[in-house]
Amino acid sequence: MTKACVKWKEQLLEAALTGTAAGDLEEHMKTCAACAAEFEVLQARRERMDTMLPLVARGAELPGEFRARVVAAAEAESERKRARSVGRWVLVGATAVVTAALVMGLLLHWRAAPTTLEAELSAAERLAEWRAPSDVLLQIPGQEILQTTPRLGESYMKVPINTEEE
Amino acid sequence: MGSSGSGVTGACVEALIARVEAEERGAAFGARVAENQRRVFQIAYGVLGNAADAEEVAQEAFLRAYQKFASLREAEKFRAWVNRIAFRLALNRQRGHRRRLARDTVWHVAGTSDAVDGARSAEERVLVQRLRSEIESLPEKFRRVLQLSIVEEMGAADVGAVLGIPAGTVRSRLHTARKLLLEAMK
Repeated sequence: MTKACVKWKEQLLEAALTGTAAGDLEEHMKTCAACAAEFEVLQARRERMDTMLPLVARGAELPGEFRARVVAAAEAESERKRARSVGRWVLVGATAVVTAALVMGLLLHWRAAPTTLEAELSAAERLAEWRAPSDVLLQIPGQEILQTTPRLGESYMKVPINTEEE
Repeated sequence: MGSSGSGVTGACVEALIARVEAEERGAAFGARVAENQRRVFQIAYGVLGNAADAEEVAQEAFLRAYQKFASLREAEKFRAWVNRIAFRLALNRQRGHRRRLARDTVWHVAGTSDAVDGARSAEERVLVQRLRSEIESLPEKFRRVLQLSIVEEMGAADVGAVLGIPAGTVRSRLHTARKLLLEAMK
């Protein structure tokens, strides 16, 4: 292929691929042995390429038991999924039962026992009423009278005396 | 007693129906696998160039199809779906291989010898390996079309369905791909 024939390169490739040379290329090849030879080479290469190309994808075969293996694997996977799904529902159910039992237990507990606030108030009241045993020793004679101190202008004599004890 | 008996019978019938349905489903799926397995394997093999990897990809594609089998009962739907998923799985696996090869060049050397396990003679092996290598160097849009077009029973419409492009575009890209390949195979 001469330098002058470079312009025919693209057309030669096209011709080799399609198997037919365009009119002007055909005319050129009648007078140019180099281009005619290049065309032959390209055509042979294209034929070889077309023969070999399928081998790129079809060069190997699947084993005979492929179908059976795939079906078995698919069914096993499906069974596993079903088992997982059942297990999940069992877990959800168990969780729901345990939660419900806890809630019921807490409710029953709250109903049976006084509320925390009530219990605290009751304890405070009991504390306020509490007297130490030594309180008796601190009492003095006439304390009863002193406990009922007369108001301004009143006399101790008018203070009522508790006679019921006597 | 009667109601208990009828309850047991009902449960048995339901179990029987479920079993029959599962068997029918398995049989229908098996038929679809038989119709498509060769092509699906070739799609994966065309990309990966390794029979073991291609087989795994084909199996994975069919297992995924089984999960969606309820919506893929029609033969055409199944065919198009499984073609597409097999091609994507193969490309994903190829990317994974490339990442591993990039990490370890020793594996790259070992990997190239596996890549032609389909060719018969030594000369064919060399030629197929060369073709595969040249295909890999093509621009992606031409490479994808060529990889799918060389698979049996894959027309321009099927290739277009996998790649999401019109059949006319497939034909045009295929022509360019072959031209580039012819030029490269000097």
